[in-house]
Amino acid sequence: MSLSRWFSLFCLLCGSALFAQNKELLYDFNEIPQALLLNPGMETDFKWFAGVPLLSGISGYVGSNGISVNDIFADDGIDINVKFRERALDVLRPRDEFSATLQLEYFTGGFRAANPSIFYSFGGYLEMDNITYWPKDYAALLFDGNADQLNRRFDLSDLKSRGSAVNVVHFGINKYMDRNLTLGIRGKLYSGIIDYSTTSNNGYLVNTEGQNNILATTLNADMRLRTSGIQALDDANDSGSLSNTFLKRAFFGGDLGLGVDLGFTYHLSERTMITGSVLDLGFLYHANDAKSYSLDGSATIEGIQINVLEDFANLNRDFWQDLVDEVETLVPFETDTNGYVSFRPTKLYGSLRHDFGKPEGGSADPIDCDCTATAIGRGLRSKYRNSVGAQVYMINRPRGPQMALTGFYTRRVGNVLAVKATYTADKFSYTNIGLGLNLQAGPVNLYLLADNLLSYQNIAASNYASFQFGLNIISWGRSR
Amino acid sequence: MKILRRYAILFFGILLIGSCSEKQDFDQLEDLQIMPTYETSVFYVKAQESIINRVTGLNFFSQDFNFDAFEEPFFAERVRSGVLSYTLENTTSKPIEITLEFLDPNDIVLDTEQFQMTAAPTAMIMREVAYGTTGKSLDIIRNTSKIRLTARNLGDNSTTSNLPDPAIILSSSAKFTLEL
Repeated sequence: MSLSRWFSLFCLLCGSALFAQNKELLYDFNEIPQALLLNPGMETDFKWFAGVPLLSGISGYVGSNGISVNDIFADDGIDINVKFRERALDVLRPRDEFSATLQLEYFTGGFRAANPSIFYSFGGYLEMDNITYWPKDYAALLFDGNADQLNRRFDLSDLKSRGSAVNVVHFGINKYMDRNLTLGIRGKLYSGIIDYSTTSNNGYLVNTEGQNNILATTLNADMRLRTSGIQALDDANDSGSLSNTFLKRAFFGGDLGLGVDLGFTYHLSERTMITGSVLDLGFLYHANDAKSYSLDGSATIEGIQINVLEDFANLNRDFWQDLVDEVETLVPFETDTNGYVSFRPTKLYGSLRHDFGKPEGGSADPIDCDCTATAIGRGLRSKYRNSVGAQVYMINRPRGPQMALTGFYTRRVGNVLAVKATYTADKFSYTNIGLGLNLQAGPVNLYLLADNLLSYQNIAASNYASFQFGLNIISWGRSR
Repeated sequence: MKILRRYAILFFGILLIGSCSEKQDFDQLEDLQIMPTYETSVFYVKAQESIINRVTGLNFFSQDFNFDAFEEPFFAERVRSGVLSYTLENTTSKPIEITLEFLDPNDIVLDTEQFQMTAAPTAMIMREVAYGTTGKSLDIIRNTSKIRLTARNLGDNSTTSNLPDPAIILSSSAKFTLEL
């Protein structure tokens, strides 16, 4: 396989492999049960809900802040080598990322406890995620090499990438504390299927003027790649048992971990509230089929060096092999199978929301009382036709936290339809307008959410595309 | 249900009508060329005048050195052109002839590079030898398994240069372009 094919595979992985996505449309969209996954402390008025298996929550996103598919692959008659040099090699920086997430919920449900102030929810989903930063100096070495670049240090820390496929089984408790405060917590059990990370590399490669020979080449490396599950799945693929091994690792036969989500909703007034959540405070311990690779040390070589006076008695030795051995001793490439811990990409959401317009349900004047919390009693805090507000999203990434700011407007049309429109600014786009629809036909709930709608004019030129949809059966235990 | 259907159609309608994409040609990847040029030192040989004086006869030094770097499949299959650069410095009191022979695994000489230098004081010889379309055959490089270095003393065995640390020094570096 030629390197250009490997490179295209890399692009494909970057473009379609899949990192925790900002779900600004789903967040605080109280009509959708899956919003509980983003804020376990969300206000809910469901009696129970059940997701349609495999269809209740499907979401994905692909993002690349520095370059789009169209930049390279547009059928515009320009030589791809020119496009790649001008739009990637010359302009992309090590902070530019290629990232993606795919999440598939395979079951979910929730029910209100005998104590109606408590709502339980549970479920399971598969999540695949990947983030790779543009390895600028590696790309320079790959495409241009190191010739005629005396004293240029090629930075080995430019390589930062991590990804995983995880099955998550969760159980959450949502508790209505009082008329103003709702708290929630969700415990998560992670079962790691596959994991890799190479995020703390250091070192450099440099050519300098040699002391004896024309050039001295120095490799100073402190690099590590940690993997888990890759060998097991590769072996299973060879033996035709890939699906069995995948399922075994997905259902607690692989790496195990624990996590927790926390969230709250607090009413500053009848119509104004703040919400917040922290998700995936957790870790995985990779002990099943873990394999790590490291390159650690420093060596400077000036080729084969023969000093006839000094080597006179030993001129028959294999100078080439001795040189290779010396480098391998100074910069050993080692593997081990020690287990390791990886932390889940922790996310943080927050919002400030103000409701206005007529309350849904007809009453012009919402009842403002400190009523006993019951499923019906809670409904006394009216839903209003309109909501407007701002959200913030942060995620912990290998090169530090990333943030997105969202402004939103939600419109409710009876009990049948709720529409949420968002404007989001983040590193991917300053023109991200999203639209979400929640449709309710009796007990059947369907939601469709899509981001960055302006990019649909030329989807290939987009730096970011995201979607979420799902199908649920919901009961409120009362006529809405 | 009517209103639900109407809004669903509206939503998808907006997406479908609004969404389009410029024509993409992913086959362009076949045309993407990855042809880096790498540069590093190859070998360095230093023979002191004291050694040269100790050896009687014309050839004061002849040695075959294993050199597998060019034969490595990763390199041999991908190399497209290259330049070997030599620098020869003679600070001894005698004229010297250096011969480099590139040998295949059966010790067949593939190519020869010869340098002659007069006795010190003399300028350094710098030579660049190209391989590939504008130079010698790349097969020389691809099949080289050993390098034979022969040094001949074209002067006497008694005089010593008054320069510090008199010696004959051969330095070299390689710059090769690969197609990956």
